[in-house]
Amino acid sequence: MGTYTYTSQPRALPCQRRRYRDNLLQPDDEPMRFGNIMYDRRVIRGNTYALQTLPLAGQQDPLELQRLQQAKRRALARKRAREQFRPRTPEPVEGRKHVDVQTELYLEEIADRIIEVDMECQTDAFLDRPPTPLFIPAKTGKDVATEILEGELFDFDLEVRPMLEVLVGKTIEQALLEVMEEEELANLQASQNAYEELRSIELAEVQRLEEQERRHREEKERRKQQQWEVTHKHNETAQKIAAQAFAQRYLADLLPSVFGSLRDGGYFYDPIQRDIEMGFLPWLLNEVDKTVEHSMLGRTVLDMLIREVVERRLDMFEHKYPTPGNRSWQGSSGAMAGSVGPYEFQAPGTSPTQNSFLAKDYQSRPTPDRRSLERGLSQDGRGVEEGDPTGQSTDTGVKQTAELPDVWNSAQP
Amino acid sequence: MAHTQISMYLPPDINPTQAAIAYGCRALPKLNEELQSENLRTRQKALMALCDLMHDPEHVYQAIQIGCLESLKALLRDSNHLVRIKTTEVLCIMATHNIGREGFLKHNVVLFLSLLLNDPQLLCRLNLHQAYKHLAQLPQGAQGIINSGLIPSLVWKLQREEHESVQLLILDTLSSCLWEGAASEALDNRVVPFLKEMLLSANEDIRAKAAHTLMAVCVPLDGKNQVWQYDVIPILVHMLKDPMQEVQANAAGALMYATITTEGKYAALDAEAMPPLLMLLNSTLSKVRLNAIKALTMLAEAPEGRSYLQAHVPVFRLIEDDPNPAVQQAALTAIKVIEWKP
Repeated sequence: MGTYTYTSQPRALPCQRRRYRDNLLQPDDEPMRFGNIMYDRRVIRGNTYALQTLPLAGQQDPLELQRLQQAKRRALARKRAREQFRPRTPEPVEGRKHVDVQTELYLEEIADRIIEVDMECQTDAFLDRPPTPLFIPAKTGKDVATEILEGELFDFDLEVRPMLEVLVGKTIEQALLEVMEEEELANLQASQNAYEELRSIELAEVQRLEEQERRHREEKERRKQQQWEVTHKHNETAQKIAAQAFAQRYLADLLPSVFGSLRDGGYFYDPIQRDIEMGFLPWLLNEVDKTVEHSMLGRTVLDMLIREVVERRLDMFEHKYPTPGNRSWQGSSGAMAGSVGPYEFQAPGTSPTQNSFLAKDYQSRPTPDRRSLERGLSQDGRGVEEGDPTGQSTDTGVKQTAELPDVWNSAQP
Repeated sequence: MAHTQISMYLPPDINPTQAAIAYGCRALPKLNEELQSENLRTRQKALMALCDLMHDPEHVYQAIQIGCLESLKALLRDSNHLVRIKTTEVLCIMATHNIGREGFLKHNVVLFLSLLLNDPQLLCRLNLHQAYKHLAQLPQGAQGIINSGLIPSLVWKLQREEHESVQLLILDTLSSCLWEGAASEALDNRVVPFLKEMLLSANEDIRAKAAHTLMAVCVPLDGKNQVWQYDVIPILVHMLKDPMQEVQANAAGALMYATITTEGKYAALDAEAMPPLLMLLNSTLSKVRLNAIKALTMLAEAPEGRSYLQAHVPVFRLIEDDPNPAVQQAALTAIKVIEWKP
């Protein structure tokens, strides 16, 4: 048997009939009256095969509808009219109001019936003996009363409240303070720890970098030192090489120049040539000089001889024919000797005695005219003699001239 | 009529060991007077009350203004140990505030506190070292400690002290002072051998703090040389494999500084420092990663290190994507150093 669901639940329909005359103000608290379905026109009884089909709702014959409505309206109007004519309590007088009044406190139903109440009486079953009542002796003594006015007694609950509040409040406040202090301390400690960590890390970093820097610097210094040494050596070597090259070049030039200068200086000599130059030629020249000297000497001797002869002849002549002009001949001989004298002056190292001797002899009769004459004479000889630069010739000349005075002196009486 | 006093008994929360704190601005002057009193109990009670009051920085300021520090300094030499303990505690609490620290430095409290370095009471020494530790966290405070010539005694104490908590505090103080430049004094006092022993201790906190102090020691050149001389580097490399991250981070940091010198680098390379450092790159703590990257950067300066690390450049490239910007920067620097050609 399955369950059955209703689209619309079956319910008892209320009856639309109104029992009592309706007020216009319809109270709602009347009990609902339900209609009897036996007498409900909506319920179809009997034969349902041939029904007068009612027109569907809403599609009633409009005329009928209208008629029905009109009838309803008329009924309503009639009712209202009837209401108006019904006797009512008259309206209140001016200034007054109708008030409902209840005459009795309790409503009484007027009826004939007498209210009857049944009463019974029965003794109780055996009861327990009740407890003896408390013996309260009669009061003796004086009654003393105190009067407690309003507000003398204190209400403990009221009074204790503020104190309790203070106590509890202070305790909790203190506790809160201490907890907060501890929290603050813990926070401070934590932040201090963090700071300490950071600080130690930073310090370590700084020291590490310092150390690194120091090591790098030392390394750099060492490398720089090394490099400096290398470059220094390099420079030195380069300089040495340069110096060597330069020296080589210089010396390369030097050698030929040295040789050249030596050669120029005459250090490289052909020994034969040298020998010839050194030995032979001087001897040759000496010999030539000697020869020339000899010839010169011969000439001079000849000159002197001639002069001697001429002087003797002059003396003899003067002896025979004395004139003041004789002295000039002597002077000329002196001048001649004087011309020889310069030869002596030319030669170094002649003995001063010979010089003075000559000078003593021949300077006693100086005359410039004759000297110039003799000079002219002797100049030829001198010219010949001066041509010979060698010292030997002059020496020989000097020796020979030195010999001359001896010859001359010996010649003189 | 209601009485102000409700019952004859005192309220249950009044502390009989504390002096009564006067109201408002009279509190501290009254306590100051009580501190100077002859009665021992008064002094003790005043000290207890002062301990409570010193948590408030305004009270600290006022206390220093009225010269509480002078009375406290006098109390440091007291014969009663409770008085001394409490005085050091008060000073320790004052040292947690900046005003307190500045007051310490102005009134030369450091020197007076140092008289108690050899105190038989452990609590006294604990408080003392805690006060020093707080003071040393301020740069001027660290300078003050250095100027008072406390570094040699602290180093000596480091070795003598048996209690590890005190050792931890001394290590903290020393590391803060060393960051401020006490390194030469400390090195003269043989701090490196002491730290070397501590690196091998069983307590991991001590190891971590000792490594941190060693990191501070390695900052100046003398420290690096001494660390290399005493062969601390192999121990540091060994500590890189420690399970605790803080230890790893500090060991990597100390290595980072120690390997700046060439001898340090080669000592680390001989001790096979690079594989553990590469493993540390994957750690979760950013400090570890940062220090490891920096240490590897130092080692990459040496030719052998560079050739070894060239195979690991991809790892560094991966690290460049790290959220921490400092780590990224460090990774970039590391790659630059590894790929540097002379």
